[in-house]
Amino acid sequence: MSAPAPPSTEPAKPDEAKLSPAELKKRAKAEKQARRAAIKGDQPGGESSTSGGNGESGAQAANAIGGPPQKKPQQQKAGQQKQGRQGNQDARGAQGDRGASQQQALPLRRRGSQSGLATADSKKDNKQVELFSHLYTQPRRHTVEGTSKDVHPAVLALGFQFSSYEICGSSARCVAMLLAFKEAIQSYTTPTGTSLPRHLTSHFLSPQIEFLKSCRSISESMGNAIRYLKKIIVEIDPNMPEQEAKAYLCEEMDRFIRERITITDQAIAASACLQIKNGSTVLTYAKSSIVEKTILQAHANGTKFRVIIVDSRPLFEGKHLASSLMSAGLQVEYLPYSGIPHAIKSASLVLLGAHSMLSNGRLQSRVGTASLAMQAQKADIPVIVCCESVKFSGKVALDNIVLNEVAPPEELIPLAPATGPMTADDKAGEDDEERSKVKTLSEWRDIPNLQILNLMYDITPAEYIRMVICEYGSVPPSSVPVVHRLANEGM
Amino acid sequence: MVTTAADSHGATFDVVAAYHHLLQSDSDITMPVAAIEALILALQNNNSTTVSETLDLVSRETVKLKASIPNPISLSAGTDLFQQYLISSLTRPAATQAGILDFDQIRQHLVQNGRLFVDRAKAARTTISGLGRHFIRDGDTVLTNGGSRVVGALLKSAAESSSTSSGRGSLRFRVIYVVSPSSSNIEGRTAESESAAIIAALRERDIPVATIPPTAIAYCMDTVTQCFVGAEGVVENGGVVNRLGTYQMGLLAKAAGKPFYVVSESHKFVRLYPLGQRDLGIEQKIVDFRTADGAVDAINDEGVADLEEGAKKSTAPEDAVDYTPPHLISGIITESGVLLPSAVSEELIKIWF
Repeated sequence: MSAPAPPSTEPAKPDEAKLSPAELKKRAKAEKQARRAAIKGDQPGGESSTSGGNGESGAQAANAIGGPPQKKPQQQKAGQQKQGRQGNQDARGAQGDRGASQQQALPLRRRGSQSGLATADSKKDNKQVELFSHLYTQPRRHTVEGTSKDVHPAVLALGFQFSSYEICGSSARCVAMLLAFKEAIQSYTTPTGTSLPRHLTSHFLSPQIEFLKSCRSISESMGNAIRYLKKIIVEIDPNMPEQEAKAYLCEEMDRFIRERITITDQAIAASACLQIKNGSTVLTYAKSSIVEKTILQAHANGTKFRVIIVDSRPLFEGKHLASSLMSAGLQVEYLPYSGIPHAIKSASLVLLGAHSMLSNGRLQSRVGTASLAMQAQKADIPVIVCCESVKFSGKVALDNIVLNEVAPPEELIPLAPATGPMTADDKAGEDDEERSKVKTLSEWRDIPNLQILNLMYDITPAEYIRMVICEYGSVPPSSVPVVHRLANEGM
Repeated sequence: MVTTAADSHGATFDVVAAYHHLLQSDSDITMPVAAIEALILALQNNNSTTVSETLDLVSRETVKLKASIPNPISLSAGTDLFQQYLISSLTRPAATQAGILDFDQIRQHLVQNGRLFVDRAKAARTTISGLGRHFIRDGDTVLTNGGSRVVGALLKSAAESSSTSSGRGSLRFRVIYVVSPSSSNIEGRTAESESAAIIAALRERDIPVATIPPTAIAYCMDTVTQCFVGAEGVVENGGVVNRLGTYQMGLLAKAAGKPFYVVSESHKFVRLYPLGQRDLGIEQKIVDFRTADGAVDAINDEGVADLEEGAKKSTAPEDAVDYTPPHLISGIITESGVLLPSAVSEELIKIWF
């Protein structure tokens, strides 16, 4: 939809935090212009004083004038706040016919996290599920366009691998990030007049991290690794020769990877594979590298068991796991997500990987894990989480809303609607219904009253988890904060 | 008396014999403490000169001890703790500095400290009964089972609390004691005689005690105000390994909404994480399928380590244990305070890291 002119000059970046200073300035200017235009166009005279700062009073003032513009801000506001499906169209209509008057409503939004949203984007805005609005960052970056000149080529390449899921999984991303940083730090030279510990973090590392964030939100393990890296940088003696300092940093990063991920993975796999008994059936969901290692290890130990992999759209990570296990000679059963009840019936153990373990013992993992864990718990099948302590987090979450990542909704849309039976049994019935109603979902942005939410993670309650295996041994989920303190805060 | 076993001969010191001797000679001693004491004796009788030699000796003796009895869960709590203590005190910089002087002195020091440890472990029982007796109020009806000495000490202490010179306490409560019927016909089973001794001691103190068979637990659950059980081992997730029947008592108490307390010294915390009843790492012939032809060699599916056990020392039914998961347990009364089951793993992490 083509909304009228001035706001369209603004960049389509919903998240303020992710903008560069130059962009911020540009946007502030545009906003100011728009506001001025609104005041002039709509309410000449007295009202101008109120409309600027406080959104609430501005709106009230607008209502108070009476006449044609009176109703619309209200409408707009309702659409904003409820973001209900019916509000969707109203707001659209309102924006369509209103020219400058709409700008007057702009300050209203300053309060929300989407504060900077341009009106041109409000249609897109309506395509965002309001409850999760805090999770929508700018669209994932797939091109080098507009990146900071400071970003190292290795980090650039890595970023695109992140955004295309070529490197996927919390630990893999963490390792890849540290390796790229190593390369980047090698090419770093301290400018004259400053020292490495003072300059490196803020002026060199930050743009790299910001860039990676713009490709995909960073994971808990990456956060912990970055925290560690920053800490050792600060602790470097400013008098240390630069080459030496860089060599030291690279060595430390290697040590981090070795101690916190590589060796840890081996230790976890070694202790987790003892839980796989002869004749048991292991159920797992999607793909976790540590679960894969555990299963392969148990197989190498000569344990006779069967594996059931439950997988789901849109990433179909389980396929990779299935093929790797099958090539190792294991007996694998691969089921769609709708096959969980069947899988539960024959399973004797559920092994799960983690994106992060939260301090209240809850597990953050690929969306769909919680449901599987719940059903396993109901059937009294032990649910075991394998997780390196680097993924343990001091955060706490009660629901899936606060901590999560929204992936591009397009990923949920089947690529070719008419590929026949393959897509039909691939995924849930709801898509089939959708497809029969509307010819194709690829133009979902033009379909009124349709929002698509593609969440990456969900939270599994601690009650569903029987055991967490980390490098400190097997602990109940209630001990996650203890291990986190031990592993991540003292490092 | 202890020394007689130790004196036999230094080189051919039999840790298993020493262990059994300790258990028999001191009725108050628990399995983990006896194991620790036996290991200290072994250390005394050996002239190891290096750290690794000492550690090796202890781990060898531990394996011997564990192999000698059918259910080493309780024992391993003690041996693991002692080993961990040795490792941490031998690798500590202070110890290595002293090592420059004389390793023999360190060993002496270790042995002395080990004694201190044993004394402390024995003293724990009094502390626990002091803490735990506040859980019993006037007019309560307490349900308990087994021959746990620490539960007995707790109940006795409650009976004597604020006692007058006559030895009778002002606290009036009743005890329902679950006694398995087999106790009447099998003589000399230590655990059963243990429970008989506790019952007698309580009745002596004017505490009314009723004995019921395990089948009657559900029947009398409505009259019960709280349950106390002992433990052979408290496992990492806060669950408890105890005599067969504890699990069902826990389930019934949970179903009736009655608090279910575990009374245990903290040296019984064991680094074991069972996922279920058949995950205890010991072999128990509780479920024994039979046809007219005799025993069916049951599917040993749960991978119990029967290879190590070699000769199948299936535990006698009286010694069988079960595992009570943590969600059935309201609290664990230890000498370091009353813990939630979830705190057990924290305590263990503190010891091990």
